[in-house]
Amino acid sequence: MYATAVNLLGRPFASLPPERRRLLALLVLAAAFALLPLVMDNDANTDAMANAMSYATLALGLNIVVGFAGLLDLGYAAFFAIGAYYYGIFTSFQVMPLWSDAWAPFAFLGLVQKINQGGPDLVHFTLSFWLALPTAALVTAFFGVLFGAPTLRLRGDYLAIVTLGFGEIVPIVARNVDSVTNGAAGLNGVQAPRILGYSFGVDALPYYYVGMLLVAFLIFVSIRLRDSRIGRAWMAIREDETAASAMGVNLVHFKLLAFAIGAAFAGMTGVYYIAKLQTATPEMFSFSVSSMLLVMVVLGGMGSVWGVVVGACLLQLMQSWFLPESTNVVRAFGEMVGSPWLMSVDLVHWTQMLFGLILVLMMLFRRDGLIPATRAIPALSFEAQHAEVRRGGFVNLDRIPHWESTPGNALEIRGVTVKFGGLTALNNVDLTVPAGGVVAVIGPNGSGKSTLFNAITGLVQAHSGSIKFHGAELLGLAPHEVLERGVARTFQNIRLFPNLTVLENVLIGQHSRLRTGPFAAVFHPPWTKAEEEGARKWALDIIGLFGNRLTPRANQTVSGLSYANRRRVEISRALASKPKILLLDEPTAGMNPNETLELAEQIKSLHEMGLTILLIEHKLDVVTKLADTVVVLDHGDKIAEGRPDEVRRNEEVLTAYLGRAARAALAETGNVA
Amino acid sequence: MTTADLFLQQAINGLSLGAMYSLLALGFTLVYGIMELINFSHFNVFMVGSFVAMVTLQMFGLSGQDTILTGLPLVGVMLVAFLASMTLCGAIGVAIERFLLRPLRAVKGPAAMITTIGVSYVLFNAVLLSIGADSKNFPNPLPPLTFAIGGAVLRLREILIWIISLVLMGGLTYFVQFTRLGKAMRATAQDPEAARMMGVEVDRVVMTAFFVGSALAGASGMIFGLYYNLSKVDIGFAAGLRAFTAAVLGGIGNVPGAMVGGVLIGLIEALSGQVVGTAWTDVIIFGILVLVLVFKPVGLMGRVAPNKS
Repeated sequence: MYATAVNLLGRPFASLPPERRRLLALLVLAAAFALLPLVMDNDANTDAMANAMSYATLALGLNIVVGFAGLLDLGYAAFFAIGAYYYGIFTSFQVMPLWSDAWAPFAFLGLVQKINQGGPDLVHFTLSFWLALPTAALVTAFFGVLFGAPTLRLRGDYLAIVTLGFGEIVPIVARNVDSVTNGAAGLNGVQAPRILGYSFGVDALPYYYVGMLLVAFLIFVSIRLRDSRIGRAWMAIREDETAASAMGVNLVHFKLLAFAIGAAFAGMTGVYYIAKLQTATPEMFSFSVSSMLLVMVVLGGMGSVWGVVVGACLLQLMQSWFLPESTNVVRAFGEMVGSPWLMSVDLVHWTQMLFGLILVLMMLFRRDGLIPATRAIPALSFEAQHAEVRRGGFVNLDRIPHWESTPGNALEIRGVTVKFGGLTALNNVDLTVPAGGVVAVIGPNGSGKSTLFNAITGLVQAHSGSIKFHGAELLGLAPHEVLERGVARTFQNIRLFPNLTVLENVLIGQHSRLRTGPFAAVFHPPWTKAEEEGARKWALDIIGLFGNRLTPRANQTVSGLSYANRRRVEISRALASKPKILLLDEPTAGMNPNETLELAEQIKSLHEMGLTILLIEHKLDVVTKLADTVVVLDHGDKIAEGRPDEVRRNEEVLTAYLGRAARAALAETGNVA
Repeated sequence: MTTADLFLQQAINGLSLGAMYSLLALGFTLVYGIMELINFSHFNVFMVGSFVAMVTLQMFGLSGQDTILTGLPLVGVMLVAFLASMTLCGAIGVAIERFLLRPLRAVKGPAAMITTIGVSYVLFNAVLLSIGADSKNFPNPLPPLTFAIGGAVLRLREILIWIISLVLMGGLTYFVQFTRLGKAMRATAQDPEAARMMGVEVDRVVMTAFFVGSALAGASGMIFGLYYNLSKVDIGFAAGLRAFTAAVLGGIGNVPGAMVGGVLIGLIEALSGQVVGTAWTDVIIFGILVLVLVFKPVGLMGRVAPNKS
């Protein structure tokens, strides 16, 4: 019997292509949810399910902020409240200004009515539910930006407490501004939605279907955003803010965008929830709502779209079905054993206790949630694991601008000084990198080499001096602006986005060269599709530069890669930004001699392809092989500059590297380089 | 009362509140200074502390405001109540650290902070389920001694709160500045890696920070009971947010900063309640938090920023 069913249903299903299979599964899921209330035919259950829909939409919104962008928002219910009061105030009889003819156009649009309750004519707001949904999204998105703006410069943990405060303040304001919100008593007489003259009234069924559509729409929006340039930028911020910024992500812009879109989800839910309830009180939006949503997101899996929906449904199921049902069971058991305590127990009161336990247990034992956002890494075949080493550099990569198109001096650094407290990390350093040049910066540890890179790329602010790139000042620019001008870098201690794949890392490198905004990401106009496909293809081309060291691993998360491969990914990511100059901070550090040789040849071919290169390197054979000019830093001062062979003979350089005594000893034996 | 007297009275009240917030803020600051973690469980460790003190006082047969003790019995009972609440809260803090946070120490991201939120919830609901949501009478055996300062009244309660706070803060300052463990603590706050390499047992330091911070929260919880003559399951949230603001105001991670910040927040609360109305106190306190974080994130007393890249 079972086998027959599998044969009848399973076989044809398995033979479908994966996209079709997914579509079919979605249709079955949607049909099941659509039929569920009809089958159950119980208004209380339908009502609980309609509430589950609003929790799911809220969890999806919070997931954008917490899961995608990694911004821990503990006051998310504030946006829920704003959306709710927005709809409540503009459909109820709470706020009624005096009528004047200025309101006439609004009356014509159906937004207000002239009413008379004995006394002067008053304005009654009659905002339609269907108009309120999108406008509430806009209004709350605005508040998202407003609350987000002062807090975004803060570290993640401060953000948590500030949002917690905002979440507290909004209900306080609602409680105390009686004239607008009717204070603690709450708004009454909020209009139910109408469609073609039919009012939804208090029956739960139509709300359930609207809620279902809302959930479906927001799942769609979440997935489209996640898989786009926008989602990648958010995840880059979540993984490593500094690296994201150095790879062209405008931190302020994208954090605010996450706040705004997350808030918009909450605003729409607020409209839906209040229309269904037809009242709004400040207590509905307290911290316990924000924390319940956090529990849903944590339970389902931070960053996992389907996970948070499942989390929301599970918790709603727990609250409205499992706990009441098990209360009955426990009480029956109590009667059986004659325990008055068990007979009077009400497990519904244990809801919040369970929330706390879920948070703690999930963090201890399953941090990625029930349905983790990161996919399983496909295992590599034996052939794929064995890299064919491609020697002698590589073939051309188009779309990298050639230095000949912008001749002259690429980088002109004049008198740059950087201080950290009392320590002068760079002292009045001058440096010129001609277009098409390869300049190596060497120097003992702590001599200021990486600080120089950080000053160029805007990660630290120079106290004085100027850094011109093709004549334009870089000093004072944010890291992402420096990258946009064609300066890309790698980091000495490798700063990749560890939980993203090789391909995603390289795609983030292209961030500043792509144009897809939030609307294009969601609605996929043809140009966005083409842009995304092009970006993926080009990212694979770049990854392919390193032979089959990276290509078979394109879909693996970088945290599992070898050290040398991570370096290669970082160089690929920098290349993806189509730089004019590449700043490499100790690219061969930690590589064995073979890998070093391989990479040195590859850097050489990058130069031949038309890139200008500024390089920090300790291995002198690499420096000699690649660089036409070597600059030596020591204690923040530039102590020498010249061709590699000149610098190797320079007295001061030898002293800096070897110390005075060793230098003198060398001189005595006549053994100077 | 004249306006000046009213303000003097509010200043006296504010100093008591401030002492309470200072003690609570120290727990935030110690833990944050060492682990860069906002410990949300601290909110409700404080609440638990006030109930432990209440139950201890009740065990001495004290219930409402009617039984008055004097002399040695008073000192003894007070001391026992403070010690009980501090010890139990310290133990809760240590348990949270040892069993729930230590396994997460190497985990990046918000996992540890989310855990403390979860713990806070568990503590809150454990108390809620066992004794309910209504406010409970906090026994006050202090004789109704008052001193007049102009038109304002200084009660024995205030003097007791100030003395206890000064003793605890003095002890903490001595501990942090002069003892071996205190020095290890400061070293860990500056650079855990280097401290570990210099032989500091970081696990012990973190545990000490949790013990001391939570014990002070216990004392603070008892002061809450003495000040308001009540205790309630939801007192942790507002007090915790104010104490955290105090820690940030003074410069989070900075021990004297938390003390000064606490007193300032106490005064601001008392005086703004007088001027603007208590409904808006949270908004004002929170406004201060945002302003400090945005414009002077190192706080009034500054902070030796940990050298982490």
